[in-house]
Order: sequence, then C-alpha cells, then structure tokens
Amino acid sequence: MDMIVPLSELKPGESAVVVDIAGGSGLRSRLYAMGVAPGVIIRVLEKYQFGPVVVEAGGTRLAVGKGMSAKILVRRL
Amino acid sequence: MAMKVIALAGNPNVGKTTIFNALTGMHQHVGNWPGVTVEKKEGVFEYGGERFLVVDLPGTYSLTAHSIDELVARNFLLNGNPDVVVNVVDATSILRNLYLTMEIFEMGLKNIVIALNKIDLAEKKGIRIDVGKMSKVLGVPVVPLSAKKGEGLGELKEAIIRVAHGEVEENPIIPHYDPEVEREIEHISRVLEGTKLASKYPLRWLAIKLLQRDEEVIKLVERYLGKEGLESVMTHINEVEERYGKAMDLVIAGQKYEFIDGLTHEFMSYGQASGDVLADQLDRLLIHPVYGFIAMAIVFYGVFKFVFAFGLPLQNWLAEAFTLFGNWLAPHIANQALRGLIVDGIIGGVGMVLSFFPLVFLLFFALSFLEDFGYMARVAVLMEGILRKFGLPGKSIIPLILGLGCNVPAVMSTRTLDDEKDRLVTMFVNPFIPCSARLSVISFLSAIFFGKDSALVAASIYVLAFAVALGSAWLVSRFVSGESSPFVIELPEYLIPSGKSLLVHSWERSKEFVQKAGTVILLGAIFIWYLSNYPAPVGTGRSYAEQIGHFFEPYMRLMGLDWRAAVSLLFGIIAKENVISTLGVIYGSPEAIRDAMTPLQGYVLMAVTTLYIPCIATIGAIKAESNWKWAALTTAYMITVASIIGILIWHLGIALGW
Ligand SMILES: Nc1nc2c(ncn2[C@@H]2O[C@H](COP(=O)(O)OP(=O)(O)OP(=O)(O)O)[C@@H](O)[C@H]2O)c(=O)[nH]1
Ligand SMILES: [Mg+2]
Repeated sequence: MDMIVPLSELKPGESAVVVDIAGGSGLRSRLYAMGVAPGVIIRVLEKYQFGPVVVEAGGTRLAVGKGMSAKILVRRL
Repeated sequence: MAMKVIALAGNPNVGKTTIFNALTGMHQHVGNWPGVTVEKKEGVFEYGGERFLVVDLPGTYSLTAHSIDELVARNFLLNGNPDVVVNVVDATSILRNLYLTMEIFEMGLKNIVIALNKIDLAEKKGIRIDVGKMSKVLGVPVVPLSAKKGEGLGELKEAIIRVAHGEVEENPIIPHYDPEVEREIEHISRVLEGTKLASKYPLRWLAIKLLQRDEEVIKLVERYLGKEGLESVMTHINEVEERYGKAMDLVIAGQKYEFIDGLTHEFMSYGQASGDVLADQLDRLLIHPVYGFIAMAIVFYGVFKFVFAFGLPLQNWLAEAFTLFGNWLAPHIANQALRGLIVDGIIGGVGMVLSFFPLVFLLFFALSFLEDFGYMARVAVLMEGILRKFGLPGKSIIPLILGLGCNVPAVMSTRTLDDEKDRLVTMFVNPFIPCSARLSVISFLSAIFFGKDSALVAASIYVLAFAVALGSAWLVSRFVSGESSPFVIELPEYLIPSGKSLLVHSWERSKEFVQKAGTVILLGAIFIWYLSNYPAPVGTGRSYAEQIGHFFEPYMRLMGLDWRAAVSLLFGIIAKENVISTLGVIYGSPEAIRDAMTPLQGYVLMAVTTLYIPCIATIGAIKAESNWKWAALTTAYMITVASIIGILIWHLGIALGW
C-alpha cells in the first residue's frame, strides 16, 4: 500500500488523493470549502523551495501556503 | 407593495457582479480575483413592469464565515429573507461550487435559481454539461449563461420571475451521508426537536453544523438551550468522534464531496482534458521566486512609464488650454474681485487640478488591466514569503495595489483577510500608498522642479512610500496581538480584458476625480482665494492665508518649508489635490513656484504630501472598518512619520549640498 505523505512532499506533476487534514477546525473548514477535502483528487502544478504549492483541485487552481501544505495528508496516485 | 428581493450568492470570482451590473445597468467593480465585492450592493431591475431589488453579495466559499466579507454574505442569506436566491455557479469548477450550493440547500433556503456562468470558458475547456439533466438532478432551475458576453441573461430574468411568482415547483436535493453519520444527525435532531431554535432553522442543518462544530451554530444552541443543553450535545459528539477515530467535520466534508461527485457524473463529462498550457507557463513565470519578481518590477515600471509617457503631454496641453482660457476671459470681467476669483481662484486652482485627469485616467486604465488579466492573485502568491517578514499576509498586497487608485476602497478590501490582526495592520499602512490624487500632486511638483527627470523622481516617491508602508507594517504588527492566518488563495483563469470594458471601468473609477474637482476642490479653491486676498492680498503679510501659515511656519521650517506649504498641506487634508490648487492660487503660476523654491524643497514637499495624513474620506473608511481609536492612531502615526522623513530629507539634502 502506498504511503501517506504531506502535500508538501509531492513534486510538480504528481497527483494524489487527500486523506486527512491536520490543524485547527477553522483551517480545515476553509480548505473543504475551497475544494480540498478527504477523497478529493489534487494535482501539483508548481512548487518552490520557500513559496506556496500550486495545486489543481475540483477544477480550480489554488496556491497553498507552505505551512498549510504540510498539514494536508495525501496518498499518491 | 414592497419590492421582491433577489440575492446573488456564490463563490468568489464566479461573475456575480457581472450579472448584477447586467441586470441593473449599474457599474459596480468587477475584477478577476477573489474578493472584489466586500459589501452588499443593491440595485433595481425591471421586467414586465415589475420592479425587483437585487442584492449583490460578497463571494463566499461556504456558509461558515472566515472573514468579514464572507460574514456579510452569510448573514444576509441566513437572516435577510430574500425572495429569490440566485446561486451563481462557475461552470469550470462545478465540483467545488456545488459545495456551497449543498450548504444552501441544507440550510433550507427556498426559491433558488442556479445561474451556471462562464459557460464559454467551460466549453473551451471541453467540459460538457447537460443543463436539463442538471436541473432535474439538483431539483431547481438551472440557467446557463456567459454574463460577460451578455448571453443567457434573458433566460435568467425569466427564470427569476417565474420563481419569484411561485410558478416553479422546486425540490432541492439534499446530500446524504453514511448510515452512521445519518444516525447521529437523527439523534441530534431529536434532542433539538421542539425547541425554539428548531422553529427557526431546519433541524437537519442544525445537527450537521453541530457535528461539524460550526462556531456560530454552537453559539446559537447555547443561547437557546443553555450551557447544559449544549454540553450534553457536545459530549455526545465527542463520543461519536472517538468511535470513529476521526473528526466529524472531516468525515462530513469528505462525504459531501463524494455525494456531489456522484451527482455531477449524471450531468457532466469532461472531453479531452486539454490542460491550459499557456496559463501553466504564465503561472510558472509570474510566481517564480526569481523571475516572478523581475516580471513584477517590469510590470509596475511599465504601468508607471505608460501613465507618465502618455499622461504628461496631455496634462501640459490641458494646463495650457486652461491658462489661455483664463487670459481670454480676464478682460471680459469688469469687476476686479470677481475677475480674481474666477481667473486666479477657479481657473488657476481647479483648472490646474483638472489638467491632471489624463494621468489619473491612465493609471486606472493600467490598474484595471492588471485586475482583469488575473495578475492580482499571482502577486499575492509571489509576495507571500516577503510580506510575512514584514508581518503582513501575501493577500494584503491586493489592498496595497488598490491603494494606488484610491485608499477608500482599498481599506474596505481588507475585509477579505481572514485574520483580524492582518486586517488592522494592512489598513493602518494603506494610506501611505499614494492614491491617484497624490499622483497628481507628485507629477505636478516633479514636473515643475525636475523637468525631464520628473518620471524618475516621481518613481522614487513611490518607492519611498512602499518602503515606509512595509517598515510601518513590520513595526505595528509587533504591537497588535493575534495570530497570522495560514495562506490559501484561488488563482483565477487569465482573461484578456476587452478594450471597451477597460474604458468603462477606468472612467467609472476616475470620474470621481472630476466630480471632486467640481465640488470639494472648487469650494476649496474659492475659499483659498478668499483667504489669500482678504483682508489684504498675499504679500502684505495681512491675508488670512499668511496668518494661518505663519502659525505653522516654525514647524515647517524644520523641513525647509514655509507658510505657503503649511497652508497647502492644511487644505490637502480634505483632499490631496488641494495642495495643487492652493499652491496655484497663492503663487499664481508653476513658474512662480519654481522661482520660489529649490528642487530640494520641492522634493520634501512631495514626500510630505505623500505621507503626512490620510484624506478625510480615508480616515472615515478606517474608522468604519475598525474604530475611532485606530483611525486616530493611524493619523497621528502618519503625521509623525511624515515629519521625521521630511526633516531627514531636508537635512540630508543640505548636507549633501543639493
Ligand atoms: N469567461 C467569462 N468570464 C466571465 C464571465 N462572467 C464574468 N466573468 C469574469 O469573471 C471575473 C469575475 O467577475 P465578477 O463579476 O467580479 O465576480 P464576482 O462573483 O462578483 O466576484 P467577487 O466579488 O470577488 O465575489 C471577471 O474578470 C469577469 O470579467 C463569463 O460569462 N465568462
Ligand atoms: Mg463581485
């Protein structure tokens, strides 16, 4: 079985399924509403050393801050 | 009979305001980034002799509010009792958009029409939607449209009217969850049943929100059921979560998306997913940690160059025209006092200000281009890392850029920031950003004193202003308590703005400059003319203007300025353009200003005018968005900073022999 890793570990071009979101409930509900929730498939478009991760989820592009991307746990596809 | 109320609700940037403008014929601000509309706007639309009140709401991703603009939308939907809710859905991201739709359905809102907008973009992306099927599956009317092109608006109006008249049988679909979750929803519903709260909101919605630990609903339950009632419910939820080994909000959100995904399969399919290669490449460039900054520097340099290269010749020409007009008019006015008032006061003061309209218009044109193109959200991503070091979130760059146009909407746009601390700090430093009124003062003075280097000198004032704003943010954020919010922002599709919409848009935003010239600046010029001619003209030492100016002169002398600068700065508090008209009235002509001051003094005056105080309207906006204390503190802080910088530049300049 594939390992579960934080979103921040993925490389551009990789897709993954969201499995869990750590962090406070405010942060979590923010993410759900923007299209990042358990079961949703996301694809990493860009990622830079110090900057946010750009992903595609539910038909839209989102830029997710570095701190936040470490709290989104995903399973690689 | 009271007008029926139609609310426009939906995710940010889906085109609500575009639809609102098309329905009402108004010109509210449309832009290609999430969070353009931050307060509810009302307008009227007529159809078949009937009038409806349309309410444009700020965009919101869900009914759980995280920021003030979202709270405005949520409160209106919860308590505003709209007769029809037009839920605008972006056809290019239906999955995410329907999350809000499901919340709206769960909340039991009635009379819903779904406006499926941006169909043109969806088609381009190869997304196929069977609208009839979608309507059947969701249980409410769905109208496809491309609001930007004006397609489908007639159908939308008809659907709204039919729903408003109760001619449509609606049956909104409500998400279902796993049996275990459903059992808990049932259980909590039974606990709440029969209470006063249950008569106000649907039981199911209350139960789901409680399971998700929605803070507002928790407060509601506490209010109606008391502390014990709430506690017994929450203990139960804790037990459930323990059994699950997972937070319920996570479970519910996941299952909601699963449910939506199931629905969309019934009416939507993707053609060849032709990924947007161009957009990907542009993104890669614009948010790249190195190239992105180079691109940003080029973009803003380009904006500046554009405004000055095309604006200054036009300004010169207009100023010339006003002078000629004054010279021609003068001999036709017999009464000497009246001649002075009209030629020196009104034409010399107001005309001088008005001549800067081309620059203001071009600035708004360039800003509108950046906004419509989709650049704003990218700058926010690019700047996130740097701004954090100064205690600001990346998103706060958007209010700062908007401040280049006008600080009043810029201060209001801080509502989109999730965190109260971020909001206060961003608002605090915003007035340092030179607005279009100050652009006119900066270009006026730099043209007088620096001739062909004027654009460069003016640019240095902008750099100074941004540096002061960032430095101040760093300082102030140390004293405001609160935690900075995590960063997540949607990156909209790039759009090539149409020339027509840019022109309309720039005019809508720059016409205020003309209106102000005809009102506040006109009154100011008349007043200043009076002050500088009575009881005796300037030069005698007895005019009111000199008396007022001399009172402040000792302070002004610290930065090398005289009583004339004091008077103009004083009037500039009302509107910054008054600095130009006051100098125009007191000196009589730009040449006279050049003869009376050194370039160093001119530069100090430019810097001080830019930094010294928010105009009255901006102080009002800060007060409205926070409180009196914060507005007063901002004002006091700016006066202090402007004085220090004025004094520093003056003494540094002297020491360097300028
Ligand atoms: N391609 C396309 N773009 C559209 C359409 N309708 C609106 N837009 C663009 O979408 C962007 C957002 O439009 P707005 O009307 O400001 O969106 P809004 O929903 O009011 O956004 P917020 O106020 O931020 O919540 C603008 O750039 C519009 O030009 C459409 O039918 N097709
Ligand atoms: Mg809007």
